[in-house]
Amino acid sequence: MNRVIVIGAGPSGLSAAITIAENGNEVLILDEYMLAGGRLLGQLYEEENGKWWNGIKESKSLHDKAVALGIEIRLGTPVSNIEKLDGSWVIYTDEETHYTQHLLLATGAAEVPLPIPGWTLPGVMSVGAAQVMTNVHRVKPGNRGVIIGVNVLSSAIAMELKLADIDVACITLPKMNQVTKESGNPMDVMNSLLHVSHMAPSAFVKFGSKLMKNEFMKKMGITFFPKKGVKMWDIPIMLRKAVINIYGENAVEGVTIATINASGEVIEGTEENISADFVCIAGGLYPLAELAAVAGCPFYYIEELGGYVPLHNKRMETVLDGLYVAGNITGVEGAKVAISQGVTAGLAIANNLSGGKQEVEINEAIKRIEHTRDNAFIQFHPAVKEGKEKLQRYWEEYGQEVKVGVTS
Amino acid sequence: MIICRCEEVTYGELKNTAETYNCSARELKLRTRAGMGYCGGRTCRSMVDSIAHASTERDVTQVTLKYQPPIRPVSFGSLGEITK
Repeated sequence: MNRVIVIGAGPSGLSAAITIAENGNEVLILDEYMLAGGRLLGQLYEEENGKWWNGIKESKSLHDKAVALGIEIRLGTPVSNIEKLDGSWVIYTDEETHYTQHLLLATGAAEVPLPIPGWTLPGVMSVGAAQVMTNVHRVKPGNRGVIIGVNVLSSAIAMELKLADIDVACITLPKMNQVTKESGNPMDVMNSLLHVSHMAPSAFVKFGSKLMKNEFMKKMGITFFPKKGVKMWDIPIMLRKAVINIYGENAVEGVTIATINASGEVIEGTEENISADFVCIAGGLYPLAELAAVAGCPFYYIEELGGYVPLHNKRMETVLDGLYVAGNITGVEGAKVAISQGVTAGLAIANNLSGGKQEVEINEAIKRIEHTRDNAFIQFHPAVKEGKEKLQRYWEEYGQEVKVGVTS
Repeated sequence: MIICRCEEVTYGELKNTAETYNCSARELKLRTRAGMGYCGGRTCRSMVDSIAHASTERDVTQVTLKYQPPIRPVSFGSLGEITK
């Protein structure tokens, strides 16, 4: 029984499955969502060359290619547990139990919540939920929204909402607390935004970001940052305001915002209300690695990669025999990097099945991941490369420890 | 302000407990029941983790709040393999 199983039908899972099938192997893909494509489905943005990246089209082309290769895709099938029994990986789903020698986890990422008073009211959702409603289901999340959390993901989705003719009143910060620390601190936010300033449609922001190379200028930038915000796609981005409360009787009716100082503390007496019928919370993404954790993979916390990631090598192999990872489970990055990681994982699996016929291709695929990363339009964390280097060092240390353990 | 929706644990409760006992994320979970409801901590895990690490050092070499199967809701029928 040589059928490979892939969990996750996003960009990395689909491209891995395609690669495995192209090398003459059978593949089954499982995904909990009702459509193939994963988070790629919601993406819609204009690239530097003026071309549009349409996630629905990209997903469909990957899906169609997989189906044409005879890959079986089971959607609406959540995996609740995996374990290794008698040398096989056992995959538990509601209806059936599957077995395989080679299992790829391509489960992607999940959104980080930011608690704000009133955030349990109906009408408050994650920014990704608003994206899926709008771009995938074509349902308006509301007529006028406020986005809390200023980052790459929220500004991209704000633009998508705008394209769908949904009014975004503003993008602003959450009130600082022990959970929202970095998202609520204007300096930290400014720092992370400077790395995506090339995306800004405004020449002012592009020019401004060049001036803010040193700490003093950044501090000045925050201090003199206009209280009304700067506009991007006609949406005010406010780094000197924070949402201190979401209000409403039975559902969201609006938010209360207040002016904050450069270190994020609220200045009393500056409160004002903004009416809205939905609120998006944008706390960023973290690798969704539950299955790797229950399988028993060693984990390391690497902030640059978005949180805890399962230990793996450049061939996307974990330390557990027959268990592989690809895509955002290995660190939060864009869909193009996920696709190249999927190809690499697919080749590693095909290579292990064929007894070493894909060695040359694997090395090329690894280089392609790095090339894709270096040329990525959007970088979720500016130091993702350093994060990957950290992980590589952990991998090497782990290998040595295991060897020492065996000989001593 | 609610943090754990399943067990209705507030931010204030978590913050006070973390500061009083200077505890790890796991201890904070066990003391308050945050993350121990029927969703298995899928919403509040990262928040409980952040609150605990505001007062204690993070161990970067292991996941601080353990994942337990089933990681998605499963009906008792499916779990016990009862066929309809």
